[in-house]
Amino acid sequence: MSLLEVRDVTSGYGEVQILWGASMKLDEGKLTCLVGGNGAGKTTMLRSVMGLLKPWSGSVWFQGQDVSRMPAYTKAEMGLVLVPEGRQLFTDMSVYENLEMGASNKRARPHVKKNLEKVYAMFPRLLERHTQKAGTLSGGEQQMLAVARGIMADPVVLMIDELSLGLAPLLVLQLFEGLRALRDAGLTIMLVEQNVQMALAISDYGYVLAEGKSGIEGPARQLIKDKHVREAYLGL
Amino acid sequence: MQQISLLLASLPDGILLGFVYGVAAMGLTLIWGVMNVINLSHGPIIALGMFGTYLIFFKLGLNPYLGLFLVAPLGLLLGILIYVVAVHRVINAPHLSSLLATFSVNMIIIGLGTAAFTTSPYNVDFNMGSVSLGSTTLLGTRLIAALAAVIATGSLYLFLYRTRPGKYIRAVANNRSAAELMGIPSSRILALSFGLGTMLAAISGALIATFFPFSILSGGGYELKSFVIGVLGGLGNPVGALIGGLTLGVLEAVIPAFMETSWVPVIEFGLFILVLLVRPNGLFGAKQ
Repeated sequence: MSLLEVRDVTSGYGEVQILWGASMKLDEGKLTCLVGGNGAGKTTMLRSVMGLLKPWSGSVWFQGQDVSRMPAYTKAEMGLVLVPEGRQLFTDMSVYENLEMGASNKRARPHVKKNLEKVYAMFPRLLERHTQKAGTLSGGEQQMLAVARGIMADPVVLMIDELSLGLAPLLVLQLFEGLRALRDAGLTIMLVEQNVQMALAISDYGYVLAEGKSGIEGPARQLIKDKHVREAYLGL
Repeated sequence: MQQISLLLASLPDGILLGFVYGVAAMGLTLIWGVMNVINLSHGPIIALGMFGTYLIFFKLGLNPYLGLFLVAPLGLLLGILIYVVAVHRVINAPHLSSLLATFSVNMIIIGLGTAAFTTSPYNVDFNMGSVSLGSTTLLGTRLIAALAAVIATGSLYLFLYRTRPGKYIRAVANNRSAAELMGIPSSRILALSFGLGTMLAAISGALIATFFPFSILSGGGYELKSFVIGVLGGLGNPVGALIGGLTLGVLEAVIPAFMETSWVPVIEFGLFILVLLVRPNGLFGAKQ
């Protein structure tokens, strides 16, 4: 049974429909990526999955339970955690307080110490800056903090929106390495990326979203060789 | 020379009063800082705090300062009620909606208050003695009120920076949807914040009642002062509110020593406009 399943979701903003039937399944302990061009509806899909946006139709299932109508904070408490696009840090609060806020939900609170050690080991830079205001960090450090804050929530499924956006390639590589390590430790991860090549290179399985609809899917190693994917997204 | 001695006599009173103004402004500014709502029911809630002191003193026979321990939780509950009934559904609507919603609450409280207490002035004759320092005399009621105001400010600060719900309030103020994604029930946190803002307004009213006569309509003046202080200190900044409150208290003590008392509002609001033009984020900075 898959941990998270999105069934034929449609959604949008006001009168504007963005998602026209998107589906996907996340298998436990796997790194799955959702790729697609700019405006394909990737962020809208994540927002609908979390409940920041109400799905118009279709359903979202988490650990065998229909969570389509639940508010975002309830899902976070169940272990469905999103690292949103644009980091969305608490910029007026310190690095440490941001991590503390990551562990707001009842499930994560008992594991604060263990998870703090984990994220500081993963991103030593955050420990160096733990009293600094999040808004004063560099772009790369902010992205580290956003991921770290997500890990502090003790996720069952960690979803990350546009991890690589605006970051130096070397740093992206380092962050991707970090994600792979988390996957190897048993965490289920969903990566949403415009950087199709890199995303497919580290993922186990991939979904392509185009014009708000699910299209091709398959093991990442096969997708990267797929003629259509290569032409449309990799420019090859 | 005569002016100087008049000034020395009234300045300490102004400073003590300024602390209480600061608490009132903090209530307004906390709500604005967290949810970008201007609470137009702020004034009548201050007036309710005044009547709280009155009822506690005359009907229950309690010391008005002990009464604060009753006024504060009632103010908190009233605020949560107002948030749930009138504010929650318009929180994401344009500012005009929340202005009208809280203005309606303002009218309802004034209407009910007028029915219960009429609009004639009340007075809590409560004497705490006085302390003489050279040529100046400090009234005991004002000293204790200032002390209570400092304690209220310090507690608010500790609450916001040292406790879990306090940090949730700051997180929601900073980025509501991110807070929600981290498992923080933001609607409940907004209700709590509105309750705290209302509680501070009620406390300031309860303190003011021990030194000035009041009616159910008296809150309006203090609401306007809260706006001036909020703008001076920067809306959304509790420490700025306290400093702004002291500034206003001092102005009100100093101006009458040199000119007619009727100039006080002219200068206060002249300053208000000046700060809005020159430093729209307040003299002490605050959120953008």
